[in-house]
Amino acid sequence: ALCSRLSSIRAASSCTNGQTGCHFLSLANLFDRVIQHSARMHGISNDLHSEFELYFLPSKNQIGRVSRNCHTSTILTPNGKENAQRIAREELTEVILKLLVAWREPLWHFHQNMAQHREFNNFSSNKSLEMSEMVHELRRGVQKVVEKMQMLGVINSSLGNLGSPEALLASDRAEWRLMNDYDLLYCFRRDSNKIQNYLKILKCRIVPEHGC
Amino acid sequence: MKKVGEVVLLWLLILFIQNAAGEGYSPPGKPTNISCRSPEKETFTCWWKPGSDGGLPTTYALYYRKEGSQRVFECPDYKTAGKNSCFFSKNVTFVWVNYNITVVATNSRGRAFSDPVDIDVVYIVKPNPPEEVVVNVTEDKDWPFLQVSWKPPKMADTRSGWITLFYEVRLKLENKNKWEEVSAGQRKTLQIYSLRSGGTYEVQVRCKPDHGFWSEWSPSSRVKVPEYFPQERSMWILIVVFAAFILVIFIWMVYMNFHSVKRYLLPPVPGPKIKGIDKQLLKSGKSEDIFSSLVVSDFPPTTSNYEDFLVQYLEVYVPEERELIMDEGKDLQDDSFKTENSTCDNDSGRGSCDSHTLLTDKGGGDKEDGQQSDQEGSQAEADTKSQEEALEEELLACSHENLQSSNISNEKEKVKSWPSLFSPLPQYSLSPVNRPNPPKTGQQHCLSDSLFTPNSMPSYFTQPGPSTRKGFRSNYWECSFDHKQSHPLHPQSAAHEHLQAQNDLNTAHVDYMGAPLDVHVLNVRPSEYVEVQRVSVEDGVLLHPISPSQEDSRTLSHQTEDYSRVRMVNNDNGLLLLQRDAIEEEKSMCPYQEDVVSRASITPTLQNSVTGINTALPILDEMAASGYIDTATMFGLPTH
Repeated sequence: ALCSRLSSIRAASSCTNGQTGCHFLSLANLFDRVIQHSARMHGISNDLHSEFELYFLPSKNQIGRVSRNCHTSTILTPNGKENAQRIAREELTEVILKLLVAWREPLWHFHQNMAQHREFNNFSSNKSLEMSEMVHELRRGVQKVVEKMQMLGVINSSLGNLGSPEALLASDRAEWRLMNDYDLLYCFRRDSNKIQNYLKILKCRIVPEHGC
Repeated sequence: MKKVGEVVLLWLLILFIQNAAGEGYSPPGKPTNISCRSPEKETFTCWWKPGSDGGLPTTYALYYRKEGSQRVFECPDYKTAGKNSCFFSKNVTFVWVNYNITVVATNSRGRAFSDPVDIDVVYIVKPNPPEEVVVNVTEDKDWPFLQVSWKPPKMADTRSGWITLFYEVRLKLENKNKWEEVSAGQRKTLQIYSLRSGGTYEVQVRCKPDHGFWSEWSPSSRVKVPEYFPQERSMWILIVVFAAFILVIFIWMVYMNFHSVKRYLLPPVPGPKIKGIDKQLLKSGKSEDIFSSLVVSDFPPTTSNYEDFLVQYLEVYVPEERELIMDEGKDLQDDSFKTENSTCDNDSGRGSCDSHTLLTDKGGGDKEDGQQSDQEGSQAEADTKSQEEALEEELLACSHENLQSSNISNEKEKVKSWPSLFSPLPQYSLSPVNRPNPPKTGQQHCLSDSLFTPNSMPSYFTQPGPSTRKGFRSNYWECSFDHKQSHPLHPQSAAHEHLQAQNDLNTAHVDYMGAPLDVHVLNVRPSEYVEVQRVSVEDGVLLHPISPSQEDSRTLSHQTEDYSRVRMVNNDNGLLLLQRDAIEEEKSMCPYQEDVVSRASITPTLQNSVTGINTALPILDEMAASGYIDTATMFGLPTH
């Protein structure tokens, strides 16, 4: 998906500014691909969470008793439609990127843990690997979209460069190490859903003509 | 003690009063089955199932806690959603937040807590059904199809991307029960083809968010499809062409196999098989000539020597159900013959006499004498004797071989040659065209001998290919003798009998034209012929050789053939005597050709030249050709 995004960006760059149809179409395309990617990521996280629940936590009561705080709870995310629509595009984009950045390392770590556990079958182990890779790829994709948007002037360039090491360091807290595997899965499932939803909102705000 | 007792009594009294006062009242039962749903991911409603109320007015309260906080809230709205429900408005609904919900039932007796339930609004979305479902039948009269369109439910905000809905359409004929479901993805229109002409359809639509529950089906929309006729002209053209093609092929196949089909459907009618009736004469229409052949010149018999007449009539016994072929014109002989064999019946053309053998032990001595006296001595006795011995050996060897090869049990051994040769006429009455087993008959060959070793009697048989001979030997089960009886005939004795009967006997060749079994024609060149002296006993027949001179005289006088030579010696039951003309046939037909097959059933081919064949032979040819086998007649061939 990333390669296709790059090619579409190149195609978009060949368009002149005057041809608005050309720009918007490619951006919509980019958005579609990113949204597809995030949907797939969320699907995998959902599967993993269900499997984990099935094999490791037979008792349902544990769900409620998880007193965790997801390590991403410090990131302020809109938790309603109005909030999500009220927030600025740039903020929304930033939230997405922050989430993606925040999860990269914990998922990688999670995959390492799962690979060592013999209870986790190969299928799940592959999924955790795929999940951690997807987070990384999605982040790069979203960054491409942001660049595209900035180039098109859709969003202003006040958006911080979240790819920079400072941003990474700022968001990198070690709180995730305190979470157990199940909490990790639970939190990531929710966050991936957020990412997907935010991307859709963003798309329908910026390029509403196609599929909104 | 008293105080204790009083206290106890008092306590019991209090309890009793309490119970009497609140009869059946109890704390409420636990509420169960808490389920929550959100139609648009902005609000949600929870329902619970109340337990028993304990007979008292019970109130229910829903309390919830949001994750990360210990603060307990109560349900803001118990009314909007109906009884036993709690409605969470937008203000209090937070997505991606875990709610911990508990329902408490309270009455004056006490309270009951339900089990807590965790929900996240994102995962409990069940939208309303799609709205404004419109179904149209297109205007195309030849190929109508349905155009279905709908709108998302009002509450669900798909425009902002907040919710993504997937749709599904189902339809069925009005009077049927089976729905057909079609997935429409995120589209809001759908086309449905292949409609039943004149049918009425019901169409329904439903939707589902990307993570959530399916909505209910929308109300049915009815639509009637107009009548139309699918004009698939190209299909009909294809069908017609294909059928024509198949028809052409069929006709061509029938044409190619016309004859075999015709033969199958209309089997040829067998020709007349009356001995003495000449087909050609019949066609010519001369009745005198036709019936002249039937006349027996010396009928009624004038001599008292019945044995002479027996010359013309020979019955060969085939064991069990096999029948002999009798001469039709010899009914009288039948009678006379049957005095000897009481079990014979009067049917002409069918030999049902149960004479097992033609040569018997008892008659052996007589025969011997008779034969000795009749011998004209074509050869020296010494030769005869040697021949006899050789013949005996051959017969023995032959019989042994056959016994072994054919693996026939002693008790129930049948003479297989008999049926093949003497089987009922129908078998042989088939027209030449109808030869059933040309290949089999092809196996026949002018093989001459199984009875004579080459060394002992070189002059008396023709040598066909050694291979054929060998083959014949192995298949020469004709030599196998039927031991059914008390076995009056040994192979040895049979051979002996033969030898007694004839000078050089070419016995036992059977040729089996068209025989079902693997019969080989054995042709031993006859050097002399015998005639039946008399039928001595039930199972025996006395043979004596015929001198050429005798033959000639006899053949001239009799149109029908009267002399036979011993074709084969059946193990102990029978002797196959072959008609002279048949033998002539054999001679003339050697070497074996395909035509032979089509002619008489008994016609092995002789390699000898035919000599002294009288003019009656053509008639017999015809008869033989028609398949009639007359074993009754005996004749002799001039010795060679």
